[in-house]
Amino acid sequence: MRENPPQDLATQPQPSANGGVRKDMEAVAALERDAELMLRVREGDDTSFALLLERHRGPVVHFLYRMVQNQPVSEELAQEVFLRVYRSRATYEPTAKFTTWLFRIATHLALNWIRDGKKERRQESLDEDLLDGMDRQVADRQKTIEQEMVYEVKLREVRQAIQALPEKQRAAVLMHKYQDVEYSQIARTLGCSESAVKSLLFRAYESLRARLAHMA
Amino acid sequence: MSCPQKSKEREIAFEYWAGTLDAARAAGFARHMEQCGDCLRAVTEQRKVWEALGYWTAPVVSADFNARLYARIAAEETAPAWRKWLRRITPPVSPASFWKPAVSLAAACAVLTIGLTVHLPKPAQTSPRPQPVATQQAASQVDIEQVANALDELDLLAPAKI
Repeated sequence: MRENPPQDLATQPQPSANGGVRKDMEAVAALERDAELMLRVREGDDTSFALLLERHRGPVVHFLYRMVQNQPVSEELAQEVFLRVYRSRATYEPTAKFTTWLFRIATHLALNWIRDGKKERRQESLDEDLLDGMDRQVADRQKTIEQEMVYEVKLREVRQAIQALPEKQRAAVLMHKYQDVEYSQIARTLGCSESAVKSLLFRAYESLRARLAHMA
Repeated sequence: MSCPQKSKEREIAFEYWAGTLDAARAAGFARHMEQCGDCLRAVTEQRKVWEALGYWTAPVVSADFNARLYARIAAEETAPAWRKWLRRITPPVSPASFWKPAVSLAAACAVLTIGLTVHLPKPAQTSPRPQPVATQQAASQVDIEQVANALDELDLLAPAKI
């Protein structure tokens, strides 16, 4: 498995930086575009489906990858997500945000997979997966062995800390941190209130603080 | 402002960091944080956690992802009509979705059976067994004697008449 090289941490957006009129307008335009594309898919336009797939394939696979921590499984589940979207095209109504619907399906599938206990069966391959990815990254980025070892330890700690979170907290944190999803959308995805999401995130970040605050 | 870290309002530090506090509360908390090491630490650590999570980047999606998906879609499109209809009315099944309800049902039946077995009244308890006449007479004699003794004791305990 190969992982993307880490971006400059300082340039990563913080939640407090989510505001900004321009970004909001872009987001609204993107959402309208999603709904518009999906309506075209409903009319039988497969090119629009290809565009939707191109836009959302990465975020869905990445979200699922962090939920189940296994790349082949995450891609398998992501395929199921898009297959369900395609199957439902005839009955699609733009009543909610397209991404909310997408992440709702993805979360549902991931939680089912985790609850089915497949996680334990594939846990052995997870570590091999990680080490394999590390080996390739060493070659890719020409880092010193020491830097790579430090990075590997940190990465492992982050993965373990996320994996230790209860399922719903995990889903909420992953959507919040990595997919930049708003509270209201997380709430609709998880089927709970916004205040419940705030509480979930608070508890999740408290747990993560206890395990990861020493790292940065 | 009392310290939120020492009260039930511990979420304020998180909300401040997340930028979800209203302007007045955010300003109040910022002023408090200048004086309070615990709150400053909470916010700083939260920022560190956010940065630490940035170490985990996701893998590149497989190059054949789209091809595999379109192959599945094509397979579904060419499937017989009855299979499409069946898929529409039934949710996708996995082996687990078969055995999980079966286990629950078996457990419920077992609990019900045990409950009925333990709590059903036994015939012996509902209809008292007839006792021999001699035993009944002895028992009634004992009862009369006990009542007489009790009355005597009450007389003794009563205050003497003047």
